[in-house]
Amino acid sequence: MKDTLDLLHRLSAHPDSRCWYVAWNAKGTLLASCGGDRAIRIWGKEGESWECKCVLSDGHQRTVRKVAWSPCGNYLASASFDATTSIWKRKDDDFECLTVLEGHENEVKCVAWSPSGNLLATCSRDKTVWVWEVDEEDEYECVSVVNSHTQDVKHVAWHPTMELLASASYDNKVCIHKEEDDDWECRATLEGHTSTVWSVTFDPTGQRLASCSDDRTVKIWKESQPEEGSSSDVSWKCVCTLSGFHGRTVYDVAWCRLTSALATACGDDGVRVFKEDATSDPEQPIFSMSAHVPKAHNQDVNCVAWNPKVAGLLASCSDDGDICLWSYKSED
Amino acid sequence: MACVEDDLFGTIFMADDRYHIHGYDEGFEEGKRQGWHEGRNHGRIHGGKLSAEVSFYRGFALTWKYLLQMNMDSKARKPLKILEALTGMIQTFPLEDPQNQELEENMKQIRAKFRQVCSLLHISTDFNGYVNSPGQLSF
Repeated sequence: MKDTLDLLHRLSAHPDSRCWYVAWNAKGTLLASCGGDRAIRIWGKEGESWECKCVLSDGHQRTVRKVAWSPCGNYLASASFDATTSIWKRKDDDFECLTVLEGHENEVKCVAWSPSGNLLATCSRDKTVWVWEVDEEDEYECVSVVNSHTQDVKHVAWHPTMELLASASYDNKVCIHKEEDDDWECRATLEGHTSTVWSVTFDPTGQRLASCSDDRTVKIWKESQPEEGSSSDVSWKCVCTLSGFHGRTVYDVAWCRLTSALATACGDDGVRVFKEDATSDPEQPIFSMSAHVPKAHNQDVNCVAWNPKVAGLLASCSDDGDICLWSYKSED
Repeated sequence: MACVEDDLFGTIFMADDRYHIHGYDEGFEEGKRQGWHEGRNHGRIHGGKLSAEVSFYRGFALTWKYLLQMNMDSKARKPLKILEALTGMIQTFPLEDPQNQELEENMKQIRAKFRQVCSLLHISTDFNGYVNSPGQLSF
């Protein structure tokens, strides 16, 4: 481990509560955080320090579990345990709640915008994944309710370029969804984890997927084209399993679009960064741990997020209510 | 004489065995009767619930279709299309065939379509007694 992960800032983001999730806007200038205090906070850089620019505290009745910026940066979506998803519109330096999406029976666990910004995906403890379409008048219409999981769905993530949606669940599986005759369908099921899959992330090209789980492993999946003449769909196969690195549940995994480094958030309070051995066989890639901060936070680390514009700038957040900003430097 | 004595002894010796078989047969019949009864009740309750749910969706879909058809608003087009899909799914639902392998999967799809329609029409899915909903607790 010759690479370094240095702490730049520690922000008391959601004091006396948990900080569940952080998300960078597309320009990398703003960081949104959400927590058990039912609030969403927007952070921006002022000189050398990071300041809270805005607090959205009146949108939800219960914990805000995840937040997501639209690709254009003008909208923010928040998923809450109060069974709703709120859409916020940026107005000068403030945000106003544009609409509230209802429909899930209970806790909404995650929300994600498609790369075009025209589609929004949400998932819930009610075992379903919903796909919403956004029209020019900022109206949101449900295009599909997908029932491919048998348990609580924890996370949804879009493919970086195509309209392909991955979902992770308490049923230990990852499903890949695609549109089919006006409806969304599960086209591939990734089985291999032996416990809850907490998060998934695509690599910068979208050809691979990393998933992290309560079974303390991270798995790398690669898309494989069906054989000539075969009628079956594209399938994903596990090409690498990172085991033995994490002492507890791995809650989040993030693949950096700029450096291809893979960061993980773990229940043992640590933040780790993995790097792929460039000379390894693409069908059997080798990942090694290149940086590790064992006590990055005082409690479980819930989320890691790479800044989309500044290479090596990583944000993490934890049950201790803090956000940490890290600088990752690679020797080569 | 010898042969009668043999039979007499035989009857005594085999009594245990005979009563055992007799008891088994009687118990088996009784168990079969009870099991049949329980199974019938179980089937009746679950079949009834399922039919009530599907029938509710059908009535719901037909009513809304009728209401929306009178409305020329372009906004009615999308929910109408989904309602059309929902009624189609109900029509092909194997309600008469409880052993059908597709039953559970079809039911899941119908429920999902119903919830999509409710979302499009901006109405609550809180139809207690018709639609089943899961319990509490989450993390």
